[in-house]
Amino acid sequence: MSNNKNPLLPHLATLQNVIDLTPDVRLFQIDLNDADFKAKFDYKPGQFVFVSAFGTGESPFGLTSVAHRKGPIEVAVRKVGTVTSSLHDLEPGAAVGVRGPFGNFFPMDQFKGKNIHIIGGGIGFAPLRPIILTILDHRNEYGDLFILNGARTPSDLVFANEFDTWASAPKTRLELTVDAKDDKWTGRVALIPAVVKELQLSPANSVAIICGPPIMIKFTLTELKKLGFADEQIVTTLEGKMKCGLGKCARCNVGDKYVCKDGPVFTFKQISGLLEQF
Amino acid sequence: MSETEQIRSKAKELLDAKKVDCVIGYERATDGKNARPMFAYNVKDADRLIFDQTCRHNLVRYLLNRKDKVTGIVVKPCDSRAINLLINEHQIARDKVVIIGVVCPGLVKTDWNKAGDKLRDACQLCQQRTPVVYDVLIGEPKKVEPPADAYPDVTGMEGKSVEEKRAFWEKEFSRCIRCYACRQACPGCYCSECFVDRLDPLWVGIRIAPGENEMWNTMRAFHLGGRCVSCYACELVCPVNIPLSLLNRKLEKETMKLFKFQPGLDPETPQPLATFQKDEKLGVAE
Amino acid sequence: MSKFISKKDLNSWLNKVREGRRLIAPTKVEDLVLFKEISRVEDIASDYVNTDLSPKEFLFPPTEVLFSIEKKDGGVDLTPARVEKETVIFGMRPCDAKGIIALDKPFLEEPADPLYKEHRDKTILVGVACLKACPECFCSSMGGGPDDPAGLDIMLTEVKDGYLVQVLTEKGKALMPDSMLSESREAKPKAAEVSKVPAEGINKKLRQNFEDPYWGRLADRCIHCNMCSYVCPTCYCFDIRDYPNKGKTDRVRSWESCQSAGFTKIAGGYDPRANKGIRMRQRFAHKLLYFPEQFGVSHCIGCGRCVKSCPVNIDIREIISDVQKLGAKGE
Repeated sequence: MSNNKNPLLPHLATLQNVIDLTPDVRLFQIDLNDADFKAKFDYKPGQFVFVSAFGTGESPFGLTSVAHRKGPIEVAVRKVGTVTSSLHDLEPGAAVGVRGPFGNFFPMDQFKGKNIHIIGGGIGFAPLRPIILTILDHRNEYGDLFILNGARTPSDLVFANEFDTWASAPKTRLELTVDAKDDKWTGRVALIPAVVKELQLSPANSVAIICGPPIMIKFTLTELKKLGFADEQIVTTLEGKMKCGLGKCARCNVGDKYVCKDGPVFTFKQISGLLEQF
Repeated sequence: MSETEQIRSKAKELLDAKKVDCVIGYERATDGKNARPMFAYNVKDADRLIFDQTCRHNLVRYLLNRKDKVTGIVVKPCDSRAINLLINEHQIARDKVVIIGVVCPGLVKTDWNKAGDKLRDACQLCQQRTPVVYDVLIGEPKKVEPPADAYPDVTGMEGKSVEEKRAFWEKEFSRCIRCYACRQACPGCYCSECFVDRLDPLWVGIRIAPGENEMWNTMRAFHLGGRCVSCYACELVCPVNIPLSLLNRKLEKETMKLFKFQPGLDPETPQPLATFQKDEKLGVAE
Repeated sequence: MSKFISKKDLNSWLNKVREGRRLIAPTKVEDLVLFKEISRVEDIASDYVNTDLSPKEFLFPPTEVLFSIEKKDGGVDLTPARVEKETVIFGMRPCDAKGIIALDKPFLEEPADPLYKEHRDKTILVGVACLKACPECFCSSMGGGPDDPAGLDIMLTEVKDGYLVQVLTEKGKALMPDSMLSESREAKPKAAEVSKVPAEGINKKLRQNFEDPYWGRLADRCIHCNMCSYVCPTCYCFDIRDYPNKGKTDRVRSWESCQSAGFTKIAGGYDPRANKGIRMRQRFAHKLLYFPEQFGVSHCIGCGRCVKSCPVNIDIREIISDVQKLGAKGE
């Protein structure tokens, strides 16, 4: 949990490293300053943190690293607003703030023994990466792993430097797709829902976890349901404008559920039961 | 037929013939004394339309979210000037509005649950009782004698010293709670991103604090300089009774003095503060 | 037999209580009656039903620095804000005390908001029962009442020459000990008559009629200012942002309203509540459905301030009445 004396006060941290994933997405590797807090900082796939760009503000980012690897905290930041632009201006060594971890998490225990289909579009792929890393680090505990990573153009595909590692893991299949190719791309050119339909993913003993822009989720969901996936078998992670992360500022609710507290991970069965349908 | 009856009749005619998608007018509010805006979508709705001296809202601001539909609208003279302003600024199209203009008797000073009988200060000084643009006119056109001093309140302020003026405004703005009702009620305030919501660069910000309140209110008045159509909807909606019209009327007086221009009289005349003439001189270096 | 304090003694007590503390009471400001810090007991307004703005601003200020950020020696220093003085809010009506009870729920629920908690712990609430109600008051339909002492530390009821006194909490007792009070045989005056609004079961009705086009039509005339949320004693949506302040940076919390456009807009442009009707529905769903079901207390306390201030007469009493009737026809 965050600074439990003052949940709105960030913990001081240092930007260890920045790695450009795409022209507008940067991976930030962040090291917590306080050794005690760092030792106790545990998080699960699906949770998120607030990162402060001191002087501008803070924003929520899905954690894209896994705690069990004991490395720095990693978040993928797309430069799209004021806080993310300020973060993109920072160099390694800069001071940042971290609050969290917040939210619920992907039920990895329930995924054990099942076939996992991971479908992510653009920056939406970032919160799904911890699921992949957890599965790869505990390979025998899970069934087949199918990863579909899509983006608008080839240069927008995130984590390209890890594709070989993922594709070469046992019982793992990686598919990439783009909406529009460039001069060098020889791979698939298709929208994610079309790929799901083409590959006829099987719902048998499976879970599908999807994340991306709302329109991608909507159409992918349609295809998955046509293939026979039940609502409980499809999981996603929602986003919303957030300020506190604690369910106090009354901003991120979808109906009577708070994305920051009751989510961000929801099954589609839960989502279809929500009062507001976004 | 009373104004109310005439408006209902015209609205029903328009709705029945499907000439408009809806008619925006006024109906009785829940205190039983004042008026509130209403949207009549069918003949049955139109039976609730009224018009009286408590109809203080400038309904023209609702046209800004209905640009793709043909809308009927009930306007007073000040509201009709707002329509010309918005046409001039290419925000609405003349053929998308059916204007039901009403010759205005002036609004009374009202508050929740209290409809007074004294005319509003601004209405006592108003020189335009007939709408400047309309498709249908309700009431007989009226001419009003221009008063000796059209801006006695502004003249009064001008007579004060700088310290007195500063103290006056500090006191008034200290009550501002930044609800932005003034901005939201104003037909001239339609920027898709208001300067106070702009974060980068940060001009004012969302802090509700004296210095920032002053910035907000004075900057908004300046952004309306040469554009304000003098409906003073801003002052009417302010929950803490800040005399906002004083700011606008000072700028109006100056605009009239410098450019002989009153905003909203017609949709074609270019606005003086938005136009550069080659032969204009500011008289600064002379 | 009830406890009693004379008007004269009450005024002396108020003067004494002011020493070292902020004394907040209703006072006339132009045509309004507002809670302000007063320096003279004579400035306290007497002939009013309720203030125009709510007292929530003393526990949850419109703008408040949460902490300041200072860059130092290659690192960063964060200094949280503290609440220094105690505050006594005098003249609070029972409805507003119910409002404080409602505000306590989200702010004090674990993990508690430390700044709100400091304000709350250091504030003593002295209420005055309502002997008169305005036509817009409907507290008794929302779980309260004109002489309901819930949430107050001390409750006063005006009688001839003084007040009947109920000291309700330890905080109240510390400020107004028994020794100050005398006994009185005065009968408790009749509480104000309050209008009724059919709010029973409104949460269920709202849930049933969530998708009704009623909300879109209601939102037609809404101009999306922040007024209803700001005058309301229980609205608590807030924004957090950093602002420069003379070489340092303040992280500031400010009031915001779910009705303003862009409240839910995320960087990149997606806005799930871009539609006016959906924003309108959010306000009333939060007020009458989500909050009561989440926290077990009413989020609308029936003070009527939003009714009086809304520039276009969006009237929660009318809405409650309308929603109760939705879906009844043609089922």
